[in-house]
Amino acid sequence: MQFYAFDSQYLEQLSSGDFRTQEHFVAYFSELIRLKLSKRLHSRSEVEDARQETFARVFAALRKEDGIRQPERLGAFVNSVCNNVLLEYYRSSSQDAPSGEEEAEANIPDPGISVVDLIANREIQQKVRHILDELQEKDRRIIKEVFLEERDKDEVCRDLGVDREYLRVLLHRAKKSFKSLYLKKMAKGAMQE
Amino acid sequence: MDHSEASRLMASEKYLLDELPPDALEAFEEHLFGCPECALDVRAGSLFLEQSKLALVSPAAATGRVPAEVREPSGWFAWWRPAFAIPAMAVLLLVIGYQNFVTYPALKGALAENKVPSILPAASLVGAVTRGSNPSSIAVHPGESFLLPLDIPSQNAFQSYVVELHNPAGGVEWSLPVSAEAIKNTLPIRAPGVDKAGRYELIVFGLSAQGEKVSEVGRYPFELQFAMAANPQP
Repeated sequence: MQFYAFDSQYLEQLSSGDFRTQEHFVAYFSELIRLKLSKRLHSRSEVEDARQETFARVFAALRKEDGIRQPERLGAFVNSVCNNVLLEYYRSSSQDAPSGEEEAEANIPDPGISVVDLIANREIQQKVRHILDELQEKDRRIIKEVFLEERDKDEVCRDLGVDREYLRVLLHRAKKSFKSLYLKKMAKGAMQE
Repeated sequence: MDHSEASRLMASEKYLLDELPPDALEAFEEHLFGCPECALDVRAGSLFLEQSKLALVSPAAATGRVPAEVREPSGWFAWWRPAFAIPAMAVLLLVIGYQNFVTYPALKGALAENKVPSILPAASLVGAVTRGSNPSSIAVHPGESFLLPLDIPSQNAFQSYVVELHNPAGGVEWSLPVSAEAIKNTLPIRAPGVDKAGRYELIVFGLSAQGEKVSEVGRYPFELQFAMAANPQP
């Protein structure tokens, strides 16, 4: 996906409704929007609604005569539209605390959503398992307790005798090991396109 | 925020760990949406964490350097494990072998004997005085069947009877239920062969309707000796 350049040609194709370009655009920004929304909204359905609303507004803006004409500002434009959607959501919603069911639903790992849905395959799963296997037992426990069990990070670090910096470095290293395969998959995907 | 600042701050990691304060979060997201490198970093990290959750939650992901635990077959399939199956097969083969080479030939011999007419030794207990008389005698080969023709006094009105053979040691060799109807005639009892010679006693008990022994009806002792030569065969 990142092998496309966000240049004037890309913007033109996107504005003219080119299917392949639109598909790439959605795939590229979907995960970023989902992550951004997940930090502010409570349930998966709210995130999905806001994501779709963001894309709808972006495409509507692109079709306008006086729409965005600066390709280098495309990312910032998507971010600002997403911010507007969020603001409107805050205004219209009473922002009740999520129900237990919704909260539980949001915490369940779901392979069927987001970018995982687009690129996850057996090779990726094996790579992740391999990286986890290579970790020390303590590091594996940190990842499990922080991300799967969603325990308080400070508490996990205290229990295992590490600081927050250790947690960041652990994630950085695991991410770095995984990125090579991720890039390969992206390149393959781009070639197939 | 520019890319070098984002890298220096480990903003991608902090973003995934929800560690950025609100201002920094807004600034990094503004940069993130326009920076392919940071976007790649965050997407890869997010996918890794998503997949890690799945790997850590699934049974196959008992991740660790120790060799993968071998799952024990459960239920009925546990019996197919070599630890059980091999000894079981060996015992089965022994049983089959014993049946083929010992049991079946013996049964065949017994069946063949039953198909051939023969004269059985007999100790007639017909009209025997139960007490104080000289017992009958019989000469048989060890294990050879013999006949015990017996008269049970019919004046005893019991629902049914049981005949017991007591060996020289006083133990019960066998017992035979007999109906009230059957005692109207002489009972030609065919006794299985025994392996000890000596004084045997046939004891008849009358039974109640509930099948309990009510009283002794009669005792029929006889001397059993082992013959040196076989009975003449036809």
